[in-house]
Amino acid sequence: MSLSEFYSSLGESLDEVLGRLGMESRIVKYLGLFVSDPSFSELKEAFANNDVKTAFRAAHTLKGVAANLGLNTLSKSSSELTEDLRPLAFTENSKALLEKVELDYTVAVEGIKQLS
Amino acid sequence: MDEKRPLILIVDDVALNRTLLSDVLCDKYDTIEAKNGNEALLILREKTSEISLVLLDMVMPEKDGMEVLTIMNKNGWINEIPVIMISVETSHSLIEGAYSLGVTDFIGRPFDEMVLRNRVNNTIRLYAKQKHLSDLVLNQIYEKTRNNSMMVTMLSHIVEFRNGESGMHVLHINTITEMLLRELLRRSKKYLINSDDIGIISTASSMHDIGKITIPSAILNKPGKLTPEEFNIMKGHTINCAQMLNAVPFGKDEPLMKYAYDICRWHHERWDGNGYPDGLKGDEIPIAAQIVSIADVYDALTSERCYKKAFTHEKALEMIHNNECGVFNPLLLECLDAIADRLVSSLQTFDWGKQADKDFFYIADSMMKDRNAPVYNQAFRQYINESKKSHFFCSMLDDIIFEYTYSPSVMKISTTGAQKLGLPNTITEDENPNGVPQNENWKKIKNILLRHTTPKDIPYSVRQTLYIDGKSTPCKIKVLQIWNNIPNEAPVLASVYGHIDVLQQN
Repeated sequence: MSLSEFYSSLGESLDEVLGRLGMESRIVKYLGLFVSDPSFSELKEAFANNDVKTAFRAAHTLKGVAANLGLNTLSKSSSELTEDLRPLAFTENSKALLEKVELDYTVAVEGIKQLS
Repeated sequence: MDEKRPLILIVDDVALNRTLLSDVLCDKYDTIEAKNGNEALLILREKTSEISLVLLDMVMPEKDGMEVLTIMNKNGWINEIPVIMISVETSHSLIEGAYSLGVTDFIGRPFDEMVLRNRVNNTIRLYAKQKHLSDLVLNQIYEKTRNNSMMVTMLSHIVEFRNGESGMHVLHINTITEMLLRELLRRSKKYLINSDDIGIISTASSMHDIGKITIPSAILNKPGKLTPEEFNIMKGHTINCAQMLNAVPFGKDEPLMKYAYDICRWHHERWDGNGYPDGLKGDEIPIAAQIVSIADVYDALTSERCYKKAFTHEKALEMIHNNECGVFNPLLLECLDAIADRLVSSLQTFDWGKQADKDFFYIADSMMKDRNAPVYNQAFRQYINESKKSHFFCSMLDDIIFEYTYSPSVMKISTTGAQKLGLPNTITEDENPNGVPQNENWKKIKNILLRHTTPKDIPYSVRQTLYIDGKSTPCKIKVLQIWNNIPNEAPVLASVYGHIDVLQQN
């Protein structure tokens, strides 16, 4: 899969990211780093440990990183989770919001792994 | 030109974000990375004067961006180092909070690299310009202060020279005035002077006797007792000086001028009203003049004059307390007693370079306190603090420590060290070839200093017997050489720092 196909498959635009970050090779490099970034696993772990402070921080980080790489669907779902956790308390929505983030994250990571 | 690249500190807990930023900036800048607030603060403390810009994330573990900003404010770093905050945060109040903590700019995620690069360039350029200007101003102030102190010292020396006295009198008055003032400020808030006035008053004290240029030499330098007529003429130096200063066409409202006037006119007034020229009483006499009158009397008593021998420190204090030189403000006498122990050693260790630097420290201190005109130059601030630190540590040490510069040849020895070696604190050979002490210790130390040598980066030791407190004692002299490396020229030995270890005799 090419980089442009990857972004299309997610419903995003490569051109928007290229406009900001300049070169395809660099975008590929950052996507690789994104896969090894621990924020998502930290988020899951924080939920498991009932650690809302870490969960908020991880969601916030994920939102920023995804936005920079043009992974806007993931950035949006992370943003909703971030706002939900901002008062530093889990709500009845938190679980569902996390599931949406997990879905978007998994789709993105699977796609990145298939990049040629 | 091989110019140093500006250094940017990137603070973000996510490796991906740090890489992204340093990739964008690495063609023009050096970068250093911190992965949380604590790391960032450690780097800032170490490299305050090297860092040109901080790119700061907002949400991080171990101190977030806001906490870093708070501490940067507390330490004054925010005035010298610009901070650009980068965050995906959209909360209006949080972003406003960051601005109120002094960030120069806020960049939201996702950011456009071209915009980031330009904001970084502009911020660094603006700050560099500001830093350059503040360096310029500081250098000029430093030059000016040194020149002013030197000018005042020269003028007052001319007067002293005509009196047939060494210039030491003026320097002593300076020191005593300053010490008394500090003590007075510590004890009482009664007088309307603050710490900024200390430097001005002690400078003005140098001029207390300039009125004596109007007194004929025959009276001024008469060895015996003056006749009543002659004494009346002599007393005129106070009024004459006041008239001279009044005739100066400008600067009437300057504190230095006002204090100089008070001191010149009234430094012979006495607390009980029995002084001259106006017979003022108690606090009718301006406080600056009261202080200088005590300093003047103390130094006159403890120095040799054409009409008298020098009294000891103890005898001088006793005579002042017994009102043998007129009556003084009881509060100032308390101050004199409080500083008495330190006074003797302070007067012995006086040197002009230190005095000029001290004047500069005053200005520097009040500039640093000034919220409207903060000092941006961290290197300068560190220099001031380092100098104060080494002054302090040297004064604490009982060891023999010295510092020798080759051209001009100047040797400076720690106070106790100089006493043990029987040498003066400062030995300047070039200007004063006849004043070189014919002292065995000095000959031996100089032999070691002048030995032919090649550049060494680590200290080395030489064994040498020296006369310590007059007794021949084995010693170890440890020295560190400082070489000046000028490109394409042979290195020149510039100075030496030394420590003399007195070995126990077997």
